[in-house]
Amino acid sequence: MSAVLEVTGLRKAYAGVHALDGVSFAVEAGSITGLIGPNGSGKSTAIDCISGFQRLDSGKVVLAGADITGRVAHHIARAGLMRTFQTVRVYERLSLSDNLAIAHQQFDAATWVDEFLRTRRYRKAVEASEARARRLVELIGLQRYYEAEVGILSYGQKKLVALAAALMPHPKVVVLDEPVAGVNPSRIREIEEALRQLNQAGETFLIVEHNVEFITNLCHQVVVLDQGLKLAEGTAAEIHSDSRVLEAYLGTTPEIAEAEMRTSA
Amino acid sequence: MTVDAVYLLQLTLNGITLGLLYALIAVGLSLIFGVMEIINFAHGELLMLGAFAMAFALPVMGLLYWPAMAVAILATMLAGLAIYEVLLAPLKPDEFERSILITLGLSIIIIHAMQYIFTATPRLVDTQYGFEGIEIGSIRITWTRVIGAGAALVAFGGLYAVLRYTQFGRAMRAIAQNREAALMVGIRPRVVARNAVVLAAGLCGLAGAAISPIQLVTPYMGQFLIFKAFALVIIGGLGNIPGAIVAAVALGLVENWIGGFFEIVWQEAAVFVIMIAVVFLRPDGLFKRGGMRVG
Amino acid sequence: MKLAAALVAALLFAALPLLTTSNYIMGVGVSALIFTVAAAALNLIYGYTGLLSFAQLGFWGIGGYATALTVVTFGGTFWWGLVWAALINAAVALVVGYPTLRTNRHAFVIVTLTFALLATLIARDWVDLTRGALGIPNLPPPVAFGYEFGTTGRFYWIAWGFSVAMLTFLYALCTSRIGRTLVAIKQNEPLVRAQGISPMPYKLASFALSAAITGAAGGVYSFHLGIIDPLFLDFYYMQTFLIIVIIGGAGSFWGVVVSGIALSALPEVLRFSADFRMIIYGLILVVAMFVMPSGVAGWLRERRLARLRKTLR
Repeated sequence: MSAVLEVTGLRKAYAGVHALDGVSFAVEAGSITGLIGPNGSGKSTAIDCISGFQRLDSGKVVLAGADITGRVAHHIARAGLMRTFQTVRVYERLSLSDNLAIAHQQFDAATWVDEFLRTRRYRKAVEASEARARRLVELIGLQRYYEAEVGILSYGQKKLVALAAALMPHPKVVVLDEPVAGVNPSRIREIEEALRQLNQAGETFLIVEHNVEFITNLCHQVVVLDQGLKLAEGTAAEIHSDSRVLEAYLGTTPEIAEAEMRTSA
Repeated sequence: MTVDAVYLLQLTLNGITLGLLYALIAVGLSLIFGVMEIINFAHGELLMLGAFAMAFALPVMGLLYWPAMAVAILATMLAGLAIYEVLLAPLKPDEFERSILITLGLSIIIIHAMQYIFTATPRLVDTQYGFEGIEIGSIRITWTRVIGAGAALVAFGGLYAVLRYTQFGRAMRAIAQNREAALMVGIRPRVVARNAVVLAAGLCGLAGAAISPIQLVTPYMGQFLIFKAFALVIIGGLGNIPGAIVAAVALGLVENWIGGFFEIVWQEAAVFVIMIAVVFLRPDGLFKRGGMRVG
Repeated sequence: MKLAAALVAALLFAALPLLTTSNYIMGVGVSALIFTVAAAALNLIYGYTGLLSFAQLGFWGIGGYATALTVVTFGGTFWWGLVWAALINAAVALVVGYPTLRTNRHAFVIVTLTFALLATLIARDWVDLTRGALGIPNLPPPVAFGYEFGTTGRFYWIAWGFSVAMLTFLYALCTSRIGRTLVAIKQNEPLVRAQGISPMPYKLASFALSAAITGAAGGVYSFHLGIIDPLFLDFYYMQTFLIIVIIGGAGSFWGVVVSGIALSALPEVLRFSADFRMIIYGLILVVAMFVMPSGVAGWLRERRLARLRKTLR
């Protein structure tokens, strides 16, 4: 396996406070990598910097061999890194099919001239987009809402729509910002299952989450941040037995912390 | 053309007095934006109401300047209160476009109602000071201008004190800086917003009263002034009160200098060109915005 | 269905000069067509892209003056005048729009408002170019292939052809992927960026197109009036465009077209007093913003959604 996303020495400070103080990690192609840490540990800042939504102070971000450090968000997306947002972002007043089509349109070769003339290139692009959309909608189980406005869906369903939209253009890596936060527990299983299936189909994920159980079940590799530093890195099992992690995470003795980690979620 | 020093000084003095009156309008806009994140399009009409109130109160008061000004300020504060309670209170903080459309409708209603009732004929307002003024050498400046500028300075001092030292001034700044946190510590946004609107209206009434002996009073006078005030709010940084004051005085000066030497069209274009240049070079305004600062 | 209805309506409008000989009615028809185009252009930038632009009034005026000056001062034809009106406005929109759109939507509203008021002052005070308050009277009727559009009945055809062409173009634009992207930008700009789309070119293009179309509409309207003076930039026009868009439903193409045709008769009904007319316009705006801020189309949409929710649950 080779790394599809490599982050080296990421630094970001706000008014002198280091949100990120030299964080490095890598996401292997075909893996599910988790990024966890207590509140204020710098997880959200890290993915905002990686995806171009915040400027980083120093460090390097390489996506599939291409240096994307400090580039603007839409360039990074075009380079193949798609992300979702912590508070769900969808186009509330557009249909589910339009939501997915927009996520794809920047990635096909058809221009507005093609669209105006309805060229073969345009028709092929639309067909490809539509086929991908249908497949993803089936996977997230929202077929009957395909032409409905996304605004009528529940919060958890919108998170699924955001996930599907991020997957539309066959990205090299998908960054999910708290995919199950605020989602009904019964639905978390569904999301977990969908992600596992997608991963088996070859998609690569970087997941930021608070829900430790979710991360433990799903991720091949886990990176733990605390106070802007990387605290630990390893498989879920390794992380679980790492006393530093437990202490930083919950600030208690390992035994109690482990018990709490099991029951939290 | 040789630059005549006396002429230039005269333009400068006129510019400063005019700039201070612009500042009164712009500060009110900034205050309301800081607290409610909306723009009051009818702000110029408040000024016009203030000027009309002055024009009607003066003869009744035997041309006495200060009592008439008090009447004008009171009248606009009441108008501001009514506007807030009826039109602005139901708005949510993110309804910027809606606020501007509602107050635009209101502004048009006020202008045309005033025009219908009092006709569009410009009024000349006479005060106890008449057209007397101070003369230093060949420079001449009327008392009404001096007093207007002085009143504006006093008002800024008062505003500073209110924002800095009073309970409701602190509440206003708190809301402007961090809405959520302010709500959590029990500040009631409706009360604060109402106070801000009434205060801003009072400043506008003061400006209208002070400007009425200097310019002709017409139902349209607010429109031309508000156009500059909008530009000033952008130049100074949205919601930044000292920024608005500095920008206003600077604009008053620049306008008078340009107006003294070039055609009037350049004088009017100046504010727009400056605004576009500022937006181009410093998108957040000349003075960085960071909640509502009072210095 | 909608397209068929639109086709029938367009043909009905085309037949108006055959149905009446009244210059008054045809004059109202011209206003209805031109105002609808200007409102549809405002709908593009406000309803679709979500940017409230008061600059439309300035573009309308610049377009009117550009067309009139092309003919009267520079000896060009009416048709070239329209082209210049569109081009100059697009250029102005790019110059004003680029720096302003980098800031935020609040600044955009205020800057465009200032621009509109500035345009009014320039029309009045740049006497060398615009002839000041007197304006430019006696604009000659347009001529094409030796045919002079000298009467209201003949001029009506120009207004009809122009508005059908512009509305068709706008419809094609709004229903294309570009139109869909504009709506996406309005609804959730960060998401648009996260999907690889740069919002700036879209915003600028919709502002420039909206400016060009409004300018050309102003050009046609100035020759309908036969005179252009600073009153051409009266806030009344901006008010009319806004009311059409808001009542019709910002973001709804057909809503705005229908309300444009329907409401253009309003100024005629309210002709008895200019002040009363404006007061009523102001009242309509205030009441509409409270009662139905998303217009008739928005209200119908809400009802449709409510029904959908019921059937889905």
